[in-house]
Amino acid sequence: MDAETLDRGVSASPEIQGMDYHALNAMLNLYDDKGHIRFEADRQAARAYFLEHVNQNTVFFHSLEEKLGYLVEKGYYDTSVLDAYDRAFVHKIWDAAFAKKFRFPTFLGAFKYYTSYTLKTNDGKRYLERYEDRVCMVALALARGDETLAMRLMEEIVAGRFQPATPTFLNAGKAQRGELISCFLLRIEDNMESIGRSINSALQLSKRGGGVALLLTNIREHGAPIKGIENQSSGVIPVMKLLEDSFSYANQLGARQGAGAVYLNAHHPDILRFLDTKRENADEKIRIKTLSLGVVIPDVTFELAKRDEEMYLFSPHDVAKVYGKPFSEISVSEKYREMVDDPRIRKSKIRARRFFEILAEIQFESGYPYIMFEDTVNRANPVQGRINMSNLCSEILQVNEASEFEDDLSYKHLGTDISCNLGSMNIAKAMDGGDLAASIDVAVRALTAVSDMSAIDSVPSVRRGNDESHAIGLGQMNLHGYLARERIHYGSPEALDFTSVYFATVLFHALTASNALASERGRSFAGFENSTYADGSFFDKYVEEDWMPKTDVAKALFEKAGIPLPTRRDWAQLRDAVIAEGLYNRNLQAVPPTGSISYINNATSSIHPIASKIEIRKEGKIGRVYYPAPFMTNENLEYYRDAYEIGPEAIIDTYAAATEHVDQGLSLTLFFRDTATTRDINRAQIYAWRKGIKTIYYVRLRQMALEGTEVQGCVSCTL
Amino acid sequence: MKDLTRRVAARAVNWNRVEDDKDLEVWNRLTANFWLPEKVPLSNDVQSWATLTPEERKLTIRVFAGLTLLDTVQAGVGAPALMADATTQHEEAVLANISFMEAVHAKSYSSIFSTLCSTEEIDAAFRWAEENEHLQAKASRILEDYAPGGDPLKRKIASTFLESFMFYSGFYLPMYWSSRAKLTNTADLIRLIIRDEAVHGYYIGYKFQRALAKESAEKQASIKDYAFSLLFELYTVEDRYTAELYDGVGLTEDVKRFLHYNANKALMNLGYEALFPETSTEVNPAILSALSPNADENHDFFSGSGSSYVIGKAVATEDEDWDF
Repeated sequence: MDAETLDRGVSASPEIQGMDYHALNAMLNLYDDKGHIRFEADRQAARAYFLEHVNQNTVFFHSLEEKLGYLVEKGYYDTSVLDAYDRAFVHKIWDAAFAKKFRFPTFLGAFKYYTSYTLKTNDGKRYLERYEDRVCMVALALARGDETLAMRLMEEIVAGRFQPATPTFLNAGKAQRGELISCFLLRIEDNMESIGRSINSALQLSKRGGGVALLLTNIREHGAPIKGIENQSSGVIPVMKLLEDSFSYANQLGARQGAGAVYLNAHHPDILRFLDTKRENADEKIRIKTLSLGVVIPDVTFELAKRDEEMYLFSPHDVAKVYGKPFSEISVSEKYREMVDDPRIRKSKIRARRFFEILAEIQFESGYPYIMFEDTVNRANPVQGRINMSNLCSEILQVNEASEFEDDLSYKHLGTDISCNLGSMNIAKAMDGGDLAASIDVAVRALTAVSDMSAIDSVPSVRRGNDESHAIGLGQMNLHGYLARERIHYGSPEALDFTSVYFATVLFHALTASNALASERGRSFAGFENSTYADGSFFDKYVEEDWMPKTDVAKALFEKAGIPLPTRRDWAQLRDAVIAEGLYNRNLQAVPPTGSISYINNATSSIHPIASKIEIRKEGKIGRVYYPAPFMTNENLEYYRDAYEIGPEAIIDTYAAATEHVDQGLSLTLFFRDTATTRDINRAQIYAWRKGIKTIYYVRLRQMALEGTEVQGCVSCTL
Repeated sequence: MKDLTRRVAARAVNWNRVEDDKDLEVWNRLTANFWLPEKVPLSNDVQSWATLTPEERKLTIRVFAGLTLLDTVQAGVGAPALMADATTQHEEAVLANISFMEAVHAKSYSSIFSTLCSTEEIDAAFRWAEENEHLQAKASRILEDYAPGGDPLKRKIASTFLESFMFYSGFYLPMYWSSRAKLTNTADLIRLIIRDEAVHGYYIGYKFQRALAKESAEKQASIKDYAFSLLFELYTVEDRYTAELYDGVGLTEDVKRFLHYNANKALMNLGYEALFPETSTEVNPAILSALSPNADENHDFFSGSGSSYVIGKAVATEDEDWDF
């Protein structure tokens, strides 16, 4: 790396000379003597990181030919990716990428990229790629020989308008790699074959990348009969233990630790045992440390709590016998009274309000469980089938179908399970780009390529699900960064107005792109004909209502960016095109929490407010590193109120404005100060449910140091 | 231990009549912060442990053995000795909590050991702790002040120095490793301990100040002299202990600045002015920032739950909350 790659205009002030980059970066979290945040120390840290570390540990090549020749010959790059293109074009895209003069604006961005993404020699000691190399390989791999698409994709990624999710950005173009897909969701049925198969699948999928979520709702409860003999089943906890150990065993060549989540319906008899696994004083035999938990809550639970009644829990074993289908296929809200009155279904009960209180207690202690509002999710689902679970980040919401097994674990009936590949747009950069339609078109094509290129043969139900649905999840990030840069407060009426219009526009262009793909390829996703897209009813609210800015501020933002907004007539035309030509992708949008990629992309996470002006990021691979909010200076700090100051309502309002236009889910974290009680958490949950929020991700608490025990002059310590 | 027979009648502790609000505030904080080492996924550090050099591993084990010794002293002798001096029943209850949590801390190091090291290594480290003259000097100097019949004020001084100063030569190392992306889960556990020790040192220092205010000016002056001379004495030992441990990895200078910083903090907890000038307390920012006891770090499901969660206050919802 040459000196040119370094941010000029940064000169070392005397007091920070001689510090290493970790120390410089940590100075972000300590005010200077005038009470200012030391942004320059972080830029110094990034510079020092290149000078002292990256440059000295990068393998040098004289030319692109030499580099590509070496990387292919040594088995680092997948030669078929490069062979799909004319050599002259390969030079052209590389030249164009380096001409953009990309620089990492923060230490964490650079550090995270070189620690976790870039290609390294097999001994892990030296770097083989610069950022531009990685981007070119990703673009070439996903465009599969299409020069125009490759060039457009490279430009979108280098400009920061679109950022593929970690597995895609990390793996594409490499010869030895994990999968490009982030995320898998598997059903478990109430039999040993299915449980065994799902543990195998958890191992296989963890080995290949991403996170795996599993549905426990159908497994019979603790004490249920097996083969008619009472008190035999040990319920869901031992299955959770098996899964937890499976995930810690498998990791992706050490690149990413396996991670898993399990979902359980609130009306499953094991629900309290399930929650207790996260108690601070849980016994070691039942404690679950690294598995994430999610609870599926139907509307009826809220109704029962409203009336302060008891909620009945139903044996999945009996429910399946009575209805002839698994518990997860039943709408508990719809069948509640019927199941309560049916003597064939054994049941237990707890007070509904007490259930919500326990839920909040556990969230206090552990941040878990996630919540999925089952009926809200299914009402908003445009395709046929039932959604009964979500994933590790609670933003994937798709339908699935049970598999049946023979004794030798082969399939009697191959069902469908869910995979989802993700990528996120940086709202600030996308607005600056001025051509939202083109940016979204490229993004949808890139994500579709990942789906087309993926065939998870180790889990046939996932392969079948992907082949039939081509589901993708286009996400968004940097909402708070963008709003603050434009001097708009997060959660203000103007911000909510912008959010609603922006997401409606994204939906319009995403549908347009998927419609174009269906038209080009002459086919739609399986089951399109039974969707509300096919009968046009999905579009009613866009054809009958205006989704234009209501405030001058939001209107001015789109005008300044030169971004035209779809009119009712545009929507009607799109509807007709979709009815005629279909959609290639069954699912289009999902807004993930964007951890790592938002640091590389210099964005605030997802559409959340910042967690802190200077965020403390802790990960196994990078340790504890400090990250300044994008576009923040000592002059515009007032627009960077953090999530704890902003409070849950404004976050829920923002997510509600976006949820309206997103077919899948959005990872919504709720932030509370430690003065909150379980009642405050419950009130926020009720508010979220009323506002049509689909899922809740983590609950986070911030406990401030007891007065007198804090570290002096620490940025993240001040309210 | 307090001699109950001296009392006319046994009195039940009434938390609805709190004489010193600080007792309740600290009690609430300590109970909210309750934790057990089992919650931290230490086994995720096994791979990272393997990347340390044998020299670094030996250092780390010794540091933790040293910390175990100090926590054992505080749990078994320190906090119970202070209970005898308690002026309110609530203070006794808080000290009982402190004593218990110190025992949890001592056990936490064993969790680290059993996860990362072999029995042989562990035994060698404990033997080292028993035989190390500086470590033994630290412990015995503190135990001297804890001995029955001693001055309650001096006991509090010793205890505050232990909580706010003497642990930190050991705490430096896990914080240093975590800033280098090593043993990050172990660092989480240590940060939980630091979170507790910060409150303990603060509380005992506060009680010291309250007790001292009732004394004559003469007594106050002599106690202050005692505090500073004890700190000098402990610092001298700490200085040698630090050099012995850290010289091999070249961190001694930085650890010493960290000691100065914490010595000043300990004095502040006792209500005294700083001893070391600011220039000699400029700790490596990576360590200082890592210390922050606030729970505001951002982590995902790939990392442990860190030091961010607390036991919450349960309050039942009312009808108005369900008004939809």
